[in-house]
Amino acid sequence: MQYQPSDYLPIIVQLIAAIGFIVATMIATHSLGPKRNTKLKNEVFECGIESVGDARTPISVKYFLVAILFVLFDVEVIFMYPWAVNFIHWVNTSAAVAKEMFLEMLVFMALLLTGFVYVIKKGILHWEK
Amino acid sequence: MNSIIALSLFGIANLFLGFLNNRKILLPATLAFVLVALGLNLADWNQEYLWFNNMLRTNNLSVNFASVILVATFLVVAVSRGFGDDEEHTHPAEYYAIMLFSVVGAIMMVTFENLIMLFVGLEILSVSMYILTGTDKRNLRSNEAALKYFLMGAFATGILLFGIALIYGATGSFNIHGIEALVLTAAGGSAPALLYIGIVMVIIGLLFKVSAAPFHFWTPDVYEGAPAIFTAFMSTVVKTAGFAALFRLLGGAFTGVYGTWIYILYFLTMLTLIIGNITAVYQQSFKRMLAYSSISHAGYLMLTATAKVAHTQSSILFYSLAYSVATISAFAVLMVVAETKESNAEKTNENFDIFNGLAKNNPLLAFVLTVSMLSLAGIPLTAGFWGKFFIFSDAFQRGIVVPLVVAVLMSAVGIYYYFKAIISAYFKEGDVPAIELKPIYKITLIVTTLLTIVLGIAPDLVKSIF
Amino acid sequence: MQQMQQIPDVIKLIPLNFYVLFSSALFCIGIVGVLTRRNAIIIFMSVELMLNAVNLLLAAFSSYRADPSGQIFVFFIMAVAAAEVAVGLAIIVMIYRNIQTIDVGILNKLKW
Repeated sequence: MQYQPSDYLPIIVQLIAAIGFIVATMIATHSLGPKRNTKLKNEVFECGIESVGDARTPISVKYFLVAILFVLFDVEVIFMYPWAVNFIHWVNTSAAVAKEMFLEMLVFMALLLTGFVYVIKKGILHWEK
Repeated sequence: MNSIIALSLFGIANLFLGFLNNRKILLPATLAFVLVALGLNLADWNQEYLWFNNMLRTNNLSVNFASVILVATFLVVAVSRGFGDDEEHTHPAEYYAIMLFSVVGAIMMVTFENLIMLFVGLEILSVSMYILTGTDKRNLRSNEAALKYFLMGAFATGILLFGIALIYGATGSFNIHGIEALVLTAAGGSAPALLYIGIVMVIIGLLFKVSAAPFHFWTPDVYEGAPAIFTAFMSTVVKTAGFAALFRLLGGAFTGVYGTWIYILYFLTMLTLIIGNITAVYQQSFKRMLAYSSISHAGYLMLTATAKVAHTQSSILFYSLAYSVATISAFAVLMVVAETKESNAEKTNENFDIFNGLAKNNPLLAFVLTVSMLSLAGIPLTAGFWGKFFIFSDAFQRGIVVPLVVAVLMSAVGIYYYFKAIISAYFKEGDVPAIELKPIYKITLIVTTLLTIVLGIAPDLVKSIF
Repeated sequence: MQQMQQIPDVIKLIPLNFYVLFSSALFCIGIVGVLTRRNAIIIFMSVELMLNAVNLLLAAFSSYRADPSGQIFVFFIMAVAAAEVAVGLAIIVMIYRNIQTIDVGILNKLKW
């Protein structure tokens, strides 16, 4: 089935309606409601610990290292999806191929694990040093 | 092929060797690893294999290229002097490991059969080089070089990938032999425009990596900013691998439509030769001069890589070998002289005048420098002469006159700036104290110099193998 | 499994030309970003945009040709891009610790 650009008109209409409703309500509440600004009310946390300094202070590079390592190890998971989809197929049809695939995935995981062991031995995940 | 697997495991082993107390074993261990990989690589000689579901192909061509790469790596590791393995807060294990990993990428670039492997190999090599460029963490120049190399390299990768995607769209295959067949059929009839755009973009991406003009702007900055040992590595291994990949694409997959790219490449070859050589004349810094000379050598290699005659591959191989050996010994001399001056608390700038008066107290170093400069300039009785000779005769056989004339003229210009280093070493007044060389360093320098001279007298020793 | 089969068909509802044009546009936006921006992080984001344009194009071609290898290539691009991000951000952090800025205009120690 082929869609024409005009078929998307209802979506645009709904989008405009949704945005219009939000804008209208925000304008309405801001103009209707009473405003009493005090210094205390403009605090970031109105009741809580007094805030100190700027939110944009430089943070320890350790957070950065953990974040980078997370990205690296996280992305490797995408190689397991195509593997898993095909693995089910081969388990049902040919045991020999399935065995080989399993061994290959073991090698892959072993390499990842080696990297992880290296990271731990290097002491990067040691928080207090 | 087993060399790829072996090198990956050796790299990991190197990382863990770094946890030992005695880090002195790292240098000999890495040398042994590279030798083992070289042996495994030579085991594939005279056999044609496809590996991993047609992902990689090993044949004599790939074995030759991988051997040149491994020999260059061996020499660079031999002159690396341990990366401060006797000091605290240094990371020699990581540097050696990253070098081994990058060689894995380089070998993948010469053995690829599928564009996926070309991309993965190129990225393994490039990402390793970004790290190695920035290893001098406190030095702003090194930082800047790393950032520039990284941004430019990632940009070039993007262009290369878009080209690969377009070629895939036009032909429906990543396999270079599949692409070759489809390109040949398409060349007769009406090929989709995507194919031509894709081919040009892939070539641009690879020219970026081998630093051909007008995509060379990162090269002088990166070569100057990076630590000298990694500059030597970059200008030999990366260049050889890049040209191997370029040659395999131009001579194989893209031959069918050579009308689209051949004139562009002739023009770029001349541009590369002219820019590289003319700009090198004006350089004060020796390192920067070598960077421009590496651009001009890319021009000579492009001259022969652009089209295929029977012995193009052996010309490329011989030239890469001659160039790598000469460049490594030049950088080795530069490194040891710069370090001596630095330890004497003198201001160093890696300019030509660093060599002033080198011959007085260090005749060996001056001789090594002279031979490497003569070889780079292409003076007879050195390997570089035969490298240029083979390339020029190939070009002459194919009858591409204009680029050939430019190349010959520019190699005459090259003699001028290479001789500047020799003149400062022998004839300028200056004071370089006698430098005590470690045995392995001395042996490496003698070996590279002898290799250059022997290949200059009897080029057939190696040329007949290639 | 039934649902999996239909995804290429859903992609094919839009003509292939549209994908090519859209990816080219994204790619060009990325190139312009790399060439005009001064902030290293933004340049880096532009490069990632270029890679994503390639990913989209590969996925579209792969569906139209009913050939999964294009999508496998996308996985490789993603994994390699992640490695590149790690190295690139590390380089940027290293520079920031030395000079407290990541404006590429400041970095002009190396010039010809």
